[in-house]
Amino acid sequence: MNNRRWEKTMAILHQLALLTACSALLMAGPAAAKPGTADKGKGIYDQRCTWCHGAEGDGAGAAKEFLNPPPRDFTGGNYKIKSSFFDDMVPSDEDVFRMIRDGMPGTAMPGWSDLLSEQDMWDLVAYVKSFAQYDKPPAKMVDYGSPVASSAESIEKGKKLFEDGDRCVECHGKSGKGSLTKRLKGDGGERTWPRNLTKPWTYRGSADPKDIFTRVSTGIPGTEMPSFADPKSNKKLTVEETWHVANYVASLAKSGKPVAADDTVIKADKVDGELPGTPVDERWKKAAPTTFYMVPQIIGKERYFTPANDTISVRAMYNDQAIAILLEWDDRTKSIPGDEGAEKLADPPLTEDAVAVQLPVVIPSDMQKPYFGMGDAAHPVNIWHWKSAGKGTAESVNLLSSRGFKEIEKRDAAAIGLTAKASYEDGTWKVLMIRSLATTETDKDIQFVEGKFIPVAFAAWDGSNNSEKGSKHTMTTWYWMLLKPAVGYRPLLLGLIVALLVAGGLIWWGRGAAARRR
Amino acid sequence: MNTPRRRIVPRLLQLVLVVLGVYLGFILVFDVLLGQLIPKSLLTMYMVFVIAGAIMVFTFTEEGAQELVGPIKALVEDPSKKWVRNVVFVIVPLLAGYYVYSSMLPGFEAPVELRTIHPAPPGKFKAYGKSYNLATLENPFRKFEKEDPAKFKELVKEGGNIYIKNCQYCHGDKLDGKGPYAAGLNPTPLNFQDVGTIAQLQESFLFWRIATGGPGLPGEAAPWISSMPVWQDFLAEDEIWKVILFLYNYTGRQPRSWAHE
Repeated sequence: MNNRRWEKTMAILHQLALLTACSALLMAGPAAAKPGTADKGKGIYDQRCTWCHGAEGDGAGAAKEFLNPPPRDFTGGNYKIKSSFFDDMVPSDEDVFRMIRDGMPGTAMPGWSDLLSEQDMWDLVAYVKSFAQYDKPPAKMVDYGSPVASSAESIEKGKKLFEDGDRCVECHGKSGKGSLTKRLKGDGGERTWPRNLTKPWTYRGSADPKDIFTRVSTGIPGTEMPSFADPKSNKKLTVEETWHVANYVASLAKSGKPVAADDTVIKADKVDGELPGTPVDERWKKAAPTTFYMVPQIIGKERYFTPANDTISVRAMYNDQAIAILLEWDDRTKSIPGDEGAEKLADPPLTEDAVAVQLPVVIPSDMQKPYFGMGDAAHPVNIWHWKSAGKGTAESVNLLSSRGFKEIEKRDAAAIGLTAKASYEDGTWKVLMIRSLATTETDKDIQFVEGKFIPVAFAAWDGSNNSEKGSKHTMTTWYWMLLKPAVGYRPLLLGLIVALLVAGGLIWWGRGAAARRR
Repeated sequence: MNTPRRRIVPRLLQLVLVVLGVYLGFILVFDVLLGQLIPKSLLTMYMVFVIAGAIMVFTFTEEGAQELVGPIKALVEDPSKKWVRNVVFVIVPLLAGYYVYSSMLPGFEAPVELRTIHPAPPGKFKAYGKSYNLATLENPFRKFEKEDPAKFKELVKEGGNIYIKNCQYCHGDKLDGKGPYAAGLNPTPLNFQDVGTIAQLQESFLFWRIATGGPGLPGEAAPWISSMPVWQDFLAEDEIWKVILFLYNYTGRQPRSWAHE
């Protein structure tokens, strides 16, 4: 059918035979360092790995077009996460083993140590490497020199190196969130985004300084992340400098807002006087954010699989009149339709960035809530939908009442006093939405009440990433918002009364006993 | 009054230790080992019974009761224990006051929502514009497992390809419920490797759950929060049956069937 494919298959078979023979010899020897056997690996591979990586190791499994990043094509011999020196494509066995054992965070590749034995995984290493006919270990490994432990001084030096001459900032941005200045693509032509360094849970090869050192030193082959150990690079770093950068990046990894799985409630404090009028008001610093995972919309048609963001952080405050909700999420691009610079970075057609808050019209008094995907016939929801400014158009906020995605009523946000104001800086959107606690249309709008747990959900659109629009977006499931009631004096008063009563009782008892003794 | 036997651990302390031990046991078994938090109200109720039971046992005989309250009486009455008494008389009212104060503060913990994970299936359900009877519904491909193993293998493979294109995002490459988007969902996707899931169910139950998705769940299973898509909108009937073959095959489990019961 296909000559090249036939040749490739033959080459693989040949390789297999050779490898099997070699491993058999190795096994016989006393000290087989990596006793993986390719033909045993094949059995496991055919059962576990073909679905994504393809029977021939070319990354053309059934899932290929749905995965982002796409499954690795082993026949090309390109390994992104490796610790061999930058000019050597061959990964070490340990590199491949680690990827199999630990998986790659932020991708569909899971860690396999719970389902496969250590021997199984070494066998897989042998088989997987055979696709590219890698039969020798790498000639040279990354040079770690003498590791520099993290310190304030090292981090400071690393920050300077990170920023100097646009070395890392060009793609990762000053904040490390990846607010880039140029479009990036992978070796398969696929769109890639620079790592958001403030999200360690998306680091493919861990956020440990040594692993960061490795990435900086050898680069990420098949992407535009270059090697900084390459003497020809005008941004080259010495070994010591690389450690400083690694320490700085590791410190950035701690600067983000991770999701705390058990923290599912946004707690709004009551304030006296005015609510903060802008998203950058200093008073927001006092409100603790709650961060939630966002997932692409994969429930209704059309399912969406290529998100660029995975979390949103929310703060809220309220006073006698109104509630203010501050939404904050990472977005590498400020999407301004019509703007030349923004168009260049975006996947065409560029659309606006957007965010939405979803609330039930009626705060549930029992477990039943509206369907989390835009409500249902019996349980409508309100959606507050903010959209960023375009060239010549202002930012806007829309008010929707929805009973499922087929029954949406657009209403006038201004009429019920719903406003939104945004700011964008270096990879972060902040959108402040304010609404009065009560509205006149009590049957159509949520009426906020202190002390009740109010279901709340969020959605966001990145207009530069795959033209996210309509059903192509990221979203959360239902979480909670609570307008913390003012505590008042009663608990303290009752506590004091009880303390006094108990003390009185004890003294009375003690005195009675003393009297009896006399 | 006769002098009580000297004990290494006084009876009052024994009582306290027993109650504390049971409490820690609950925490250890449920919260730590099983990872299933006991709701606070339930734990409080259990502990009331435990304390009442322990006191009954410890005061079963007159002598035992005397011995139990002995140290408390001594604390209040014994002139030589004046200092300890003063300290206790300050601490106990403070603790009581603080307990009342803190229990009156409003709680900010998310409400506990108890939903049924495997709800009782309906007798009949509608999908693909027709009605299915769950009691008689069978996987049309199951018979090939014995009749034509080569064909069966091919069907499983087709099911696997459908799974990996459609389901792994949540249920995972390993079918362990830990797909790349699982962490953002609540309830979390079902883990098919777990013995408590598909191995306990009939294939018809799976067909019902897949075809009608989250919105097809009965009320006690909280259909409003389930992220399971309504698969009859995406997949053909045959495709669902093939995915079901794959789920059992990959995990090495067998579906329950009427024949075995």
